[in-house]
Amino acid sequence: MNTQATTSPLPSVAVAPDLPDLLPGFERPTGLLGVLRRHPMLALGGALLVLMVLIAVLAPYLATVDPTALAPARRTRAPSVEHWFGTDMLGRDIYSRVVYGARVSLTVGFSVAILASGVGLAVGLFSGFVRWADAIIMRVMDGLMAIPPILLAVALMALTRGSVGNVVVAITIAEIPRVSRLVRGVVLTLRDQTYVDAAVAAGTRAPMIIVRHILPNTLAPMTVQATYICASAMIVEAILSFIGAGTPPTIPSWGNIMAEGRSLWQVKPFIVFFPAAFLSVTVLAVNLLGDGLRDALDPRMAREF
Amino acid sequence: MFGYMVRRVVATIPVMAVVALFVFSLLYIAPGDPAAVIAGDQASPADVERIRQSLGLDQPFAVRFGQWVWLILHGDLGTSIFTNLPVTTMIAQRLEPTVSLMIITLCFAVSVGVPIGVLAAWKAGTWIDRVVMAFAVFGFSVPVFVVAYLLAFVFALELEWLPVQGYTPLAQGVWPWLANLILPAIALGCVYIALIARITRAAMLEVLQQDYIRTARAKGIGPRGILFLHALKNASVPIVTVVGIGIALLIGGAVVTESVFAIPGLGRLTVDAILRRDYPVIQGVVLLFSCVYVLVNLVIDLLYTVLDPRIRY
Amino acid sequence: MDRRTLLKGMVGAGSLALTNRLAAPALAQGAAARTLRFVPQANLANFDPIWGTQYVVRNASALVWDTLYGVDDKLEPQRQMVEAEDVSSDGLTWTFRLRTGLKFHDGEPVRAKDVVASLARWSARDPMGLMIKGIEQELTAVDDRTVKWVLKKPYPKMLLALGKNNSPMAFVMPERIAQTDPFKQISEYVGSGPMRFLKSEWVPGAKSVFEKFADYVPRQERGSWLAGGKQMLVDRIEWIVMPDPATASAALQNGEIDWWENPISDLIPVLRKNRNIMVDIADPLGNIGSFRMNHLYPPFNDARARRAVLAAMSQEDYMRALVGDDDSLWKPLPGFFTPGTPLYTEEGGEILKGPRNIDGAKKLLAESGYSGEPITCLVAQDQPITKAQGDVTADLLKRLGMNVDFNAIDWGTVGARRAQKTPPGQGGWHMFHTWHAGADCISPAPYTAIRANGDKAWFGWPDIPPVEAEVTAWFEAKTLDEEKAAIRRLNKAALDSVVFAPTGFFLTYQAWRKNVTGVTKGPLPVFWGVTKSA
Repeated sequence: MNTQATTSPLPSVAVAPDLPDLLPGFERPTGLLGVLRRHPMLALGGALLVLMVLIAVLAPYLATVDPTALAPARRTRAPSVEHWFGTDMLGRDIYSRVVYGARVSLTVGFSVAILASGVGLAVGLFSGFVRWADAIIMRVMDGLMAIPPILLAVALMALTRGSVGNVVVAITIAEIPRVSRLVRGVVLTLRDQTYVDAAVAAGTRAPMIIVRHILPNTLAPMTVQATYICASAMIVEAILSFIGAGTPPTIPSWGNIMAEGRSLWQVKPFIVFFPAAFLSVTVLAVNLLGDGLRDALDPRMAREF
Repeated sequence: MFGYMVRRVVATIPVMAVVALFVFSLLYIAPGDPAAVIAGDQASPADVERIRQSLGLDQPFAVRFGQWVWLILHGDLGTSIFTNLPVTTMIAQRLEPTVSLMIITLCFAVSVGVPIGVLAAWKAGTWIDRVVMAFAVFGFSVPVFVVAYLLAFVFALELEWLPVQGYTPLAQGVWPWLANLILPAIALGCVYIALIARITRAAMLEVLQQDYIRTARAKGIGPRGILFLHALKNASVPIVTVVGIGIALLIGGAVVTESVFAIPGLGRLTVDAILRRDYPVIQGVVLLFSCVYVLVNLVIDLLYTVLDPRIRY
Repeated sequence: MDRRTLLKGMVGAGSLALTNRLAAPALAQGAAARTLRFVPQANLANFDPIWGTQYVVRNASALVWDTLYGVDDKLEPQRQMVEAEDVSSDGLTWTFRLRTGLKFHDGEPVRAKDVVASLARWSARDPMGLMIKGIEQELTAVDDRTVKWVLKKPYPKMLLALGKNNSPMAFVMPERIAQTDPFKQISEYVGSGPMRFLKSEWVPGAKSVFEKFADYVPRQERGSWLAGGKQMLVDRIEWIVMPDPATASAALQNGEIDWWENPISDLIPVLRKNRNIMVDIADPLGNIGSFRMNHLYPPFNDARARRAVLAAMSQEDYMRALVGDDDSLWKPLPGFFTPGTPLYTEEGGEILKGPRNIDGAKKLLAESGYSGEPITCLVAQDQPITKAQGDVTADLLKRLGMNVDFNAIDWGTVGARRAQKTPPGQGGWHMFHTWHAGADCISPAPYTAIRANGDKAWFGWPDIPPVEAEVTAWFEAKTLDEEKAAIRRLNKAALDSVVFAPTGFFLTYQAWRKNVTGVTKGPLPVFWGVTKSA
């Protein structure tokens, strides 16, 4: 309880004592830990994602054997002490393949998210600022959005050799329109704000305006969008591999492992189960992260749990 | 109003043009020679060249593009390289299964997604909200084919409630038609439900904070009245938007679902055609899908004016 | 109580009473019993058996068209459309007399001129046909039922050529259709066989439908493979394409399909356990897996490099990757001819026998001048056989210290790319994988893949005169012993110069439901004599 200093310039005016704390012990937690405690989804998603990233980075140490080592004599063995997740149709150890597969899926997810955001940002900014280009660019973006993403990706993959890079490019192209629309939307709203007008009147150059005023406002929705793009990209990669138009079969990726094991799901479900579980958990983590970020950054939509 | 409609319709033309150009260029620069494929294993280079000329593959880009567009406008989507059937025939054969699947999935997703979104918004902050949203996020996170296999295993193989594959045309009876589509629709719908539920919840939350809702409660209107009579109608714009955007998602997922459940639909046709470099079919189908997407969104744009009289053009 | 019944019981049978067993499509009971639903090995896209040599095309064509002769289960050609034949004493003139009552699906009778046109088209594409055409003097229709083929030199294997089951078979089509350029596809399917093809119900990539041709007159003898009477005991056959083996397996267990041509070996145990399903070897002549190296460009233009690969490869690895744990399903194959047939030999096969010698192989490879260039490997992902072999090969080449450029593509693209003779860096290739039905490898006659006549040979274009010399010797052999001797020398020469690399001999299963009877083992699915009860 605070006590006022007794020295006061006004004589004999009693000052009310401080009220007792209504909510004893309530301190608004600050810092990262505080944020995490208030947003459990963010915390959970972030933690799971960090775990997956660690698995991917430490793959060479976590794997028990070479993921591409064939041993046809020991194919489709059930999970055992030797092979924690069992072996696939060519005798390769599924655990090691899943661990290495994290690398591919996370690489694809993060790369697509970053690339699509970057290019989408550039396109959206350009389109928002340069009015004559706006109509054309937006029509092109609409056109790209009209083509179903999976078909677009499969078509692009069919043009090129299967490789992780090409998969990233193919999925990125399908995701750019959404980001550019988002950014353009923000630019258009802000362009008419008075403070931007003021900045322009003051002679601030466009790049300065972008950096000072536009970017901060796009950052929040773009970050949230980026997490959704990451999640979507990982699923699309799995589907592409499932169809046979994804990462080359020489590289273990979760999608590949599932695609190869799909014929046997009735008799040897473990081949599909483990990569599916890992993929689902990772995508879930990214989605939770996105939801958490959205709640944290946009209080209107937040609900404290 | 009518002017707006006309303008919107006209605005779709450049979009379709972009799609057409994109689709055509994609395959123009593709490696692999359809003439060699048609000629077959034993043909000589002279035969292959003859076939190239007969297919018009040696003309410049602009000429080929122009010819293609001209034919399309006359309803001729070309002839498949692999089957020698007109592309329109091939599409027509496969239209019914895919359209049926889409419609059933749409109905299922909306009729499940919207109520759970409403429920989650109404009980925001409680465990019901958390559980519902958790389910929704799961719907996003598990790949379609895993769900499809699980459903097929449990309901078709083990319990034998439903067939495991195939498609029965509507003409052979409503129940057989539905029976083949239930499992694929659930598998495909999971992602859609998640999306719809989230948007519904978000939009409803926004609306439920409005003053007029408070007035309605003060007037004594019960929860059902509030939720459905007042709130949902006002929240419908973003929900309908998401339904429109989700069509593209559906088409992508349909490819996988049709593969797993052996449904002879357009999704499978497209992927087979892409992997085989059957250009005319690829062009025809992608064009068709894009057309559908553009049309659906056009309808939705026009629907806005019905749903929200404030939106005037 | 097995898991299925337990699960069903748990869920509660009461509410399910109405919905139980919805699996069967809504056809009347009688109609369902007359329709056979078959899952073929691949999609039936193009459908011209002279133009396209895929097995699935041949299998479908055998339903739609008939042949002059057909081999029986001993691979002896027997009369089919022919009533009687006559060969002149000098062996130069063959006269064939057609049976009466033969009709095409459009109602027209089968005439000799139709046969003449069909044989002309067939002989332009078939290896044996080309040989005959090379020595042909004239091929004419003497009257409506008689065909005369005059040669400049005798051709004792004429009946085998006309009746063989290897693609392309000598199918008889109407004259106007048979006059189509042999390098272009036919577009009409008017057949002479026991089933007609319903083009109106054809959904390419999904379903093909065949309907019994009422006016087909089968022979009186018992049917045996392609010989004898082709009695159709079902009215309708539907070929349903299933891209996913798991779905096909589930559908067979559920009764939604009746007969599956090639279930993958891993699913056989679960099919065997099902009381309603029969499982048996599909073709006693089995299959020979193979990969072919491009003889035109380094490193595989040098026999030492090819021999290095052979010395390092393990046929057991390839075969286990294909057929799994069941040892009765595969045999090592130190040669090129089908085990269990008269001409089988292991002469020269030491390189494929015994423990593998990776170091020796590496040395051999170095001697051939391999300097680390990437090896372009074409691997079709949509065929389980080539996919599995491709994975094993990639591993093999890596262990040999070679740099692998793995091209994961589809079977159709493999077909297009393997025909390219350009250098590997410019759209060509170094290796592709495939397999051959054992029936195609019993002798050099149908065995296109064993030929080594350079430009005219199959993809890879091996040019090995000793092999060709022995092929000629076999054709000219007069006794079985002479044939065997020629084949032994051929085998050795082919292995020494590695015409292609055989990965082993393997058998595949077929599976069908118990209510289907008459399914036999054979080099192709034989539909006559097959019935289905309700």
